[in-house]
Amino acid sequence: MFEIRTRTGKVLLQIGATVLIIPYLFPLVVMIKGAFAGEGVGNFEAVLRVPGFGRFFVNSVVVAGAVIVLVYVVTMMAAFGFAKLHIRFREVYFWLLLACLTLPEVVLLAPLFATDSRLGLYDTYWAVILPLAALQVPFAVLLTRNFINGLPDELFEAARVDGANSYRGFVHLVIPLTRPIAAAVLIFTLVASWNDYLFPLVFLQSPELQTITLVPQFFVGEFSNDQTKILAAAVITAIPEIVAYLSLQRLFERGLSAGAIK
Amino acid sequence: MTATTTRVRPERKAVVQGSGRMKKPPGLPWILPALVLSVGLIYYGIGYTGYISTLNWDGLSPGAEHVGAHNYTRIFHDPVFWDAVRHTLVFFVVTFVIQTILGLAFAVILHAKLRLAAIYKVIVFVPVVLAPAIMAPVFRHMFAPDGELNAVLRHVGLGGLAQPWIGQTSTALPVIMFITIWEWTGVTFVLYYAAMTQVDPSVLEAARMDGAGNMRTLVSIIWPDLRGTTVALAMLGAIGALKTFDVPYLVTIGGPNYATEFLGTYIYRMTIPLSHVGYGAALSIILLVVALLMALVLQLAGRERAGR
Repeated sequence: MFEIRTRTGKVLLQIGATVLIIPYLFPLVVMIKGAFAGEGVGNFEAVLRVPGFGRFFVNSVVVAGAVIVLVYVVTMMAAFGFAKLHIRFREVYFWLLLACLTLPEVVLLAPLFATDSRLGLYDTYWAVILPLAALQVPFAVLLTRNFINGLPDELFEAARVDGANSYRGFVHLVIPLTRPIAAAVLIFTLVASWNDYLFPLVFLQSPELQTITLVPQFFVGEFSNDQTKILAAAVITAIPEIVAYLSLQRLFERGLSAGAIK
Repeated sequence: MTATTTRVRPERKAVVQGSGRMKKPPGLPWILPALVLSVGLIYYGIGYTGYISTLNWDGLSPGAEHVGAHNYTRIFHDPVFWDAVRHTLVFFVVTFVIQTILGLAFAVILHAKLRLAAIYKVIVFVPVVLAPAIMAPVFRHMFAPDGELNAVLRHVGLGGLAQPWIGQTSTALPVIMFITIWEWTGVTFVLYYAAMTQVDPSVLEAARMDGAGNMRTLVSIIWPDLRGTTVALAMLGAIGALKTFDVPYLVTIGGPNYATEFLGTYIYRMTIPLSHVGYGAALSIILLVVALLMALVLQLAGRERAGR
């Protein structure tokens, strides 16, 4: 698209790009360098020896997994309903859902806290899973509905003529045909629930239930002010995310950018 | 409405119905789970917050006092609230502008056949994937008085610039903005990169034939073509600014002296540690109204632009 023909131009471009990339690389270097400072690999061993460290990962997997399943099922059904079935006041329901897109999660703290305590949900996985899923669904439905709108109506009509009811149309047409968009939904739901900090902070009190975003605080308590251990913990918790991204680069870039595409 | 339009409409409708479209089966049961989960939980929460916002309540004691709109009138005389609003605004404008410039720069550079382009791309995008809560201790370490940034400055002979970045009011907010830009440039870049591949190559070719250089092509042809993406990113950034919580809470704790207080951190502070739940709820409602208005305004602005 942009043509740079001269040799000096090419060199200048490379230098410019490198200068621009340094601020992005710097914090990552600080993280890794800090984690190996002092006792070196010993920092990592110390962190891994802390009892219960593995629980944080298990909890994050449980929470993210449950949110993904919930969001996926509910979203696929709703997107199919909105796009291909008959609903009176359809757009009213749709706008009710879309208005939730702008909701900052902090708004839900007080009411959910009060309600969770009353229902006995406080300090359980559900206290985090339900609101996280609720906040992801509106956008997931918007994206998936647009996608299913693009599938020809005739496909569904033909299935109906052949005697397939809505349920079979859903299982045999919607589920297989929406795979590309489902991948995007899966990725941004995964990242949003895995990286969420506020809900676990407020609703998960017992260390046995806490997720990986609460690891730094846990280690500030555990190692008081030994920065190197805290940074080692940060590196360990970042590894699964970086590995997941590197192995599914395209999918991550598309999924996380889908957020801005109409 | 004129007589002609009223006459034409029913006819059109009749044609559509007459084309033998099958009646679609009912869809309400299909959207119900999503509505119960999302609309149910969220509107219940908002309604409840609205109710709490009229109380003087600590969140636990049973006897909450009804105070009407008192919490709201208090907000308007609360200097910290106005600080938080100002920070959010400055934060949005600065992060959006810089992110746009950097995202665009990376997109252009990577379209220009750079060597090792894949590595540059990964470095810009990795921060998007990493949790801010996990990176927070890294940034506290990096910007500390004896941290890595000051060490580098001293090393290259700029020791005079070394300062307690997080600990002073003048630099705390810029630090928060830096972290946010670091985190989100990846998304801006990927979107611009993708949008640039959609630019009509024949138009570019024509411009080149007319002697337009790289810079000229970028400003006159590509940038206007990216408008849709830019508007969408502005929307995302504005809502993101209103939602800001993790970074200021974990890196600067809203301080020093409220210098990095945002609406999110202020609501949290009021609701959980200070137990002014009623006041926090009133702040939440105001935040919600602002977010909705902002989304509406940007949506309309985007549509107007696109229509032209």
